[in-house]
Amino acid sequence: MKNGNGSNLRWVILLAIAAILLVYPLIVRNPFYVHLFIMVFFYAFLAVGWNIVGGFAGQLSLGHTVFYGIGAYSSTLLFIHLGVSPWLGMFAGGILASLTSVVIGVPCFRLHGPFFAMSTLALGEVFRILATYWRDLTQGTMGISIPVKFGWKNFIFEEKAVFYYVILAFTVVALGISHWIHRSRFGSNLVALREDEEAAESLGINVPRNKLWAMMISAFLVALGGTFSAQYILFIDPDAEFSVGLSLMIAIFPILGGIGTVWGPVIGAVVLVPLQEFLRAWLGSSLHGLHLFIYGGLLIIAVTFLPRGILDWVQALGRKALPFLFPTPALEKPAHPRPDHFLAWSWLGQKGSSDGPILEVSDLGKNFGGLAAIRQVSFEVRRGEIVGLIGPNGAGKTTLFNVISGFYPPDGGAVLYHGEAISSLHSAYRICRRGMGRTFQLVKPFQNISVLENVMTGAFLRGKTQAAARDDSLEILELVGLYELKSTLGKSLTIADRKRLELARALATRPDLLLLDEIMAGLTPKETDEAIQLIRKVRDRGITVLVIEHVMQAVMQLSDRIVILHHGEKIGEGPPREVAADEKVIKAYLGEEYVIT
Amino acid sequence: METILQLTINGLLLGGIYSLIAIGLTLIFGVVRIINFAQGEFLMIGMFATFWIFSLLKIDPYLALFIFTPLLFLLGMGTERVIIKPIQNAPPIAQIFSTFGLSIVLQNGALMLWKSDYRSLETSYSNAVISWAGLMINVPRLVAFSVAVGIVIFLYLFLQRTYLGKAMSAVAQDRDAAQLMGVDISKVYMLAFGLGIGLEGLAGALIMPIYATYPTVGFTFGLIAFVVVVLGGLGNMIGAFLGGLVIGLVESFSGFYISPELNTAIYFLIFVLVLIIRPQGLMGAVGAQEMGLK
Amino acid sequence: MREVSLKAEEGKIASIVGGNGAGKTTTIRTLSGLLKPSSGAIRFLAQDVTLFPPHRRVELGMIQIPEARRLFPYMTVSGNLDMGSYTARARKEKEKVRKEIFDLFPVLQERKNQMAHTLSGGEQQMLAIGRGLMARPTLLMLDEPSLGLAPIVVRMIFQTVLRINAQGITILLVEQNVKQCLEISNQSYVLENGRVVLHGTGGEVLKNEHLRKAYLGL
Repeated sequence: MKNGNGSNLRWVILLAIAAILLVYPLIVRNPFYVHLFIMVFFYAFLAVGWNIVGGFAGQLSLGHTVFYGIGAYSSTLLFIHLGVSPWLGMFAGGILASLTSVVIGVPCFRLHGPFFAMSTLALGEVFRILATYWRDLTQGTMGISIPVKFGWKNFIFEEKAVFYYVILAFTVVALGISHWIHRSRFGSNLVALREDEEAAESLGINVPRNKLWAMMISAFLVALGGTFSAQYILFIDPDAEFSVGLSLMIAIFPILGGIGTVWGPVIGAVVLVPLQEFLRAWLGSSLHGLHLFIYGGLLIIAVTFLPRGILDWVQALGRKALPFLFPTPALEKPAHPRPDHFLAWSWLGQKGSSDGPILEVSDLGKNFGGLAAIRQVSFEVRRGEIVGLIGPNGAGKTTLFNVISGFYPPDGGAVLYHGEAISSLHSAYRICRRGMGRTFQLVKPFQNISVLENVMTGAFLRGKTQAAARDDSLEILELVGLYELKSTLGKSLTIADRKRLELARALATRPDLLLLDEIMAGLTPKETDEAIQLIRKVRDRGITVLVIEHVMQAVMQLSDRIVILHHGEKIGEGPPREVAADEKVIKAYLGEEYVIT
Repeated sequence: METILQLTINGLLLGGIYSLIAIGLTLIFGVVRIINFAQGEFLMIGMFATFWIFSLLKIDPYLALFIFTPLLFLLGMGTERVIIKPIQNAPPIAQIFSTFGLSIVLQNGALMLWKSDYRSLETSYSNAVISWAGLMINVPRLVAFSVAVGIVIFLYLFLQRTYLGKAMSAVAQDRDAAQLMGVDISKVYMLAFGLGIGLEGLAGALIMPIYATYPTVGFTFGLIAFVVVVLGGLGNMIGAFLGGLVIGLVESFSGFYISPELNTAIYFLIFVLVLIIRPQGLMGAVGAQEMGLK
Repeated sequence: MREVSLKAEEGKIASIVGGNGAGKTTTIRTLSGLLKPSSGAIRFLAQDVTLFPPHRRVELGMIQIPEARRLFPYMTVSGNLDMGSYTARARKEKEKVRKEIFDLFPVLQERKNQMAHTLSGGEQQMLAIGRGLMARPTLLMLDEPSLGLAPIVVRMIFQTVLRINAQGITILLVEQNVKQCLEISNQSYVLENGRVVLHGTGGEVLKNEHLRKAYLGL
């Protein structure tokens, strides 16, 4: 097969590159060129570190220089004052940086987008100022010189080549960590929370904790880079170790190369660092700031025109020019899904007793700014039912869902799930883990990853390995009819397919109660019928379903029982036929007495 | 007691300067809904321009401001068209890194042109001081403070009484509804951004008699402006003014009682705290839903 | 929305009805230019306005009174009305129209210096309509004006719509409150899942069985 040859060729090229890199400093004797490669790997290392929290998790930190500085100062101070080997000091610095990242992250992660970025930028400045101020510790702006005593223990080498191998090793390790994260459940969680935090919560992902872990790992790696730099240059000072320019640089390499990919940061560094070093060598200190000037400009261009970075653009071009070299992603071994195989839906029937309703809502209320969105709502849902929730616009249906699934805390009343009061849990992700899945009224597909990867973000909750998650996901895709589209990006789907995807993703978390919010909206009659069939199939497997719907034909056909909300209160419930003939319901919807003739 | 009064006066005057710098930023955020990471750099441009025109042509800063305010207004409109408009609906990464990139470009552009030396100018009134009730009041600072007050009043009237101002206010409160009124929001964005940047030109000229300029001066002032804006409530003019006064007072007192070097550290910490504890600031409300330019 | 075709005849009242999620608001927003259609065309007074930005359509006289009013919360009643007459064309007659609106809705004159967000639901709807009228509409599009209002207020709103129409302004009414809306419509279109499934005069649609089905599913 064509791809087979392509795959082999890629390996050959990679091995060749690896071999060259290994012997490089032995062949090339000019110290500048060795230095050049050291710089490339150094920045690649830092960029890979930043990418874990900035790329994978999507938290755009402009203050990573804090960790870099902590690393540099920790190892240096321990070395100079206590004689501790910088190798150990490096790890100490890394741990200190990780802890600091938690202290920074816990408050700052409550902010989003530009506000988060601004606060990290401000914190970078704070650290620079503190480092300048605490002269007793840091010698302030005078800086600290590291005495030149060569030796492995001192992490100081006469031969540049040794530094080269050290940083090369660091980079390989960082790439390894990055690659592992990318394929793991942790990585999937990060991507999910990057794309849409609410959707991630609904899939059982503990968003704050995952963000913190990403931050800690990222901080650790960047701190190691700080130590390396200190040992390489043998001088540190606050302006160099806590510099905004550095924060910019370690962000631009991943952005240009392809943010959120494993190799993107490396590509960015490989492309830009040589330019920077040549400029520096050529112009010396005469045009101080030129490289940052160019980087700034490139950054503007990159984020405006090339949001997915060079890597993606080159790959797109490459795919056209040299198809065999760039195989299309997601080449799974063809699965032979048997719909009934889906884990034999084996998790059902394990939770709690079979008698007693699966969900009980009692006197539930929720206020927004003095207005009661829902008030004294009580009903129950029995195992295996399909219950439809209807009501005119503004009746409070989605609010009800949000309270039941843990996105809003209630202002009164209780929600019992499997007999357990969950309203005090205060977290949607915990409720999901107990078995409640949901979809959203405005569908939230994860745009920048494939359909299969989307479903896997949910599947990872139960199937902890990539293989397990993938197998589960493929089978669910087969069930909902999205198997053919498994490699399509989330953003390229039609509305009907997005709804299918949302359902599939929720199913992947192995729920026993599924909350569907207006899943039929915007579907053609044919698609609506397909959706009805699908939901019936899901129910027949044993999953209880609660649907909000406006497409009346659909919900009447589908539901065993209907609950009607109006102005936040339940005004009726019963089998579909009864409800449709109920005067109160007709009045609520059509606004007047509009009796059937 | 006299010390406290003096510190208070100093703090208020300083606060006036900070408000002046922050008002442009809050206006831009309120209307265009972009956080301009490069706001401080435009102040820096205003400062350098004032410096050079004084050094080369002996034009007084208080006259120069009449030249540079409109020039920076135009520069602001140009920036909006070229940099901001393309990323209006782009994801946060573009909105952050685009203006952040611009900030770095401008800082380093200045660095390349003028090196990192501190430049300052001295006018006849640079060190003039008014003595009042035993307290010393620095004249240029008083002028800057007065202009800040004037600007707040001017903007208030502009936003309330003129059609363009009302349009900006409307866009800040409800983008869609404003369009349904026939407001050309593309034009409003451009003008609001221009105005926000023009104000930095004004501020730059006014503070040149007081501060030295250097390529990264905008970074520091820019961060301070953010602290002020967040403290006062994003998009809120009065809030920006009051926030500026608060920060000025904090700096004045902490500089005296703790250490002047730690000033920046202290109010950045305040900044992070405000963002976390009360993100809507003293007066305003963060977020797209409830933005009012008051 | 898929393939929605409708016509509002000059001087008449046309309406769009349908359940939630049927596409009514999407249609109105597209007509105003807040959303771009993937295909098709919009013609207003024999001009193709499909590519016009919202403010140009407003200048031509296509005025929308949005769902949930969308008043400027931190502006007074007066301020909101002023914004209504933003276009050059409307500004000329600002004083005259203001007087007319105060005649139509005396309570607005009483509250003219009050902040918009302090008004009751009914008053807000009156203000929204008044603001729309300040723009001198040729076509006035109202998106669910009865939403969240008490029946007596709703009746008043519909009477107001009739009065406005009597002055020669074409009306396009989007409603969930079917009966009253259909009673005053010359032409009506029933939307279901983004498609027009039924149209005819108000009376015809009102009597139609399919209408019940569209709303109640049975």
